[in-house]
Amino acid sequence: MRPDEIDRILAQAADRAVPPGADRDAKKRVERAILHDLHQVQPLAPPWVFTVVFASLFAGISVGVASALGMHGIRALAPDQRFLIFPALLAAAWFAAVGCAREMRPAAGSHLGALTLILSASVFTGLFSLIFHGYSTQNFVPEGIQCLVIGLGVSISAGLVIIYILRRGCVMDWSMAGLAVGALSGLTGLGMLELDCPNLKAIHVLTWHVTVLVGSGLLGYTGGWVADYFGRVKR
Amino acid sequence: MSGYQQADEEAARALIEKVSPLLLRYFWAHASHRRFADDLLQDTWMRVHKARHTYRGGEPVLPWIFAIARHARQDNYRRARRVEIRETQVDVLPETAASSSDVLRDVTDMDAILAELPASQREVIVMLKVSGMTIEEIARATSSSAGSVKQKAHRAYRKLRDLLTSGVERQ
Repeated sequence: MRPDEIDRILAQAADRAVPPGADRDAKKRVERAILHDLHQVQPLAPPWVFTVVFASLFAGISVGVASALGMHGIRALAPDQRFLIFPALLAAAWFAAVGCAREMRPAAGSHLGALTLILSASVFTGLFSLIFHGYSTQNFVPEGIQCLVIGLGVSISAGLVIIYILRRGCVMDWSMAGLAVGALSGLTGLGMLELDCPNLKAIHVLTWHVTVLVGSGLLGYTGGWVADYFGRVKR
Repeated sequence: MSGYQQADEEAARALIEKVSPLLLRYFWAHASHRRFADDLLQDTWMRVHKARHTYRGGEPVLPWIFAIARHARQDNYRRARRVEIRETQVDVLPETAASSSDVLRDVTDMDAILAELPASQREVIVMLKVSGMTIEEIARATSSSAGSVKQKAHRAYRKLRDLLTSGVERQ
């Protein structure tokens, strides 16, 4: 059987699928509902505007909080370490910002949240294990918990601001949007910790700083899933 | 669509007139959604109306509307599943569904043709052949790449060819 024969069978079946005149009443009902509430709307700004806004939020929040807490981390880092960490953070945040901006419109392209989160977690795990040394577990938990709490606190705050902006658009899939928001806000928390935390032990950075990124992504996804679920129940 | 954003009544009416039949065919092509087709159409247009500010002038309209329709359909499916799980059957119903051996008896039956395909391939075939969208439009509507859509369509065609050939031979 040739593809054009399959096309013909499908076309015939499709024509027969909808009973003639089935759409007339439905269309009338739709027209009544929509035309009754027709008013002018201002189209949403282009996606690049939101990408810039999200990327600026990442930079603003991480630098702002780190400045308030003291830029101990960036001072402790060697120039080559700074050169490797911060451009990678900026690139990952830009990618995550593009992902967040895409979630604001239907049909805006593939979801980037999961990819950003997996790539960022892998890149930073590799990078930190290459440039940091020291696996002593002295004060591992008390110092780590402090970083985790501050990092997640910053991530959650950044996430809430991003969600507030995201709601100006039309999010179709909150789970995927939550993942993108979680990735960007996790990177914000991670960026703030790299600027602020002077503990350069590999075990500390790999465990607690990377957990802020991954935890934030998972929190975002879970929050999005819950929002989707209750959104459906409400409808 | 831009006219609709500017509250042009004629433009809105023309859009509803043009797109509704395509949407209805899309919902009808999924057997499990047929009884909800009218409601789904209404729900989709309500969502389109609410989200019309997110449409960007100059971009293709169909993928934008079908992305919304697809989510309306998925939401409806999940909601219906939740209700079905909680429902208790009080009476034994007669078996009416066709058995798998009867499925291909009529090769031109839409349900029988599509029921054998996995959900993702079925969706691509419905958008491609029932709603008349292009590969690029489907890729946009489903938030995936054109390559992935082409691959799904290719696999679906291969499966359909096997099914239809065996169906014709059996007849």
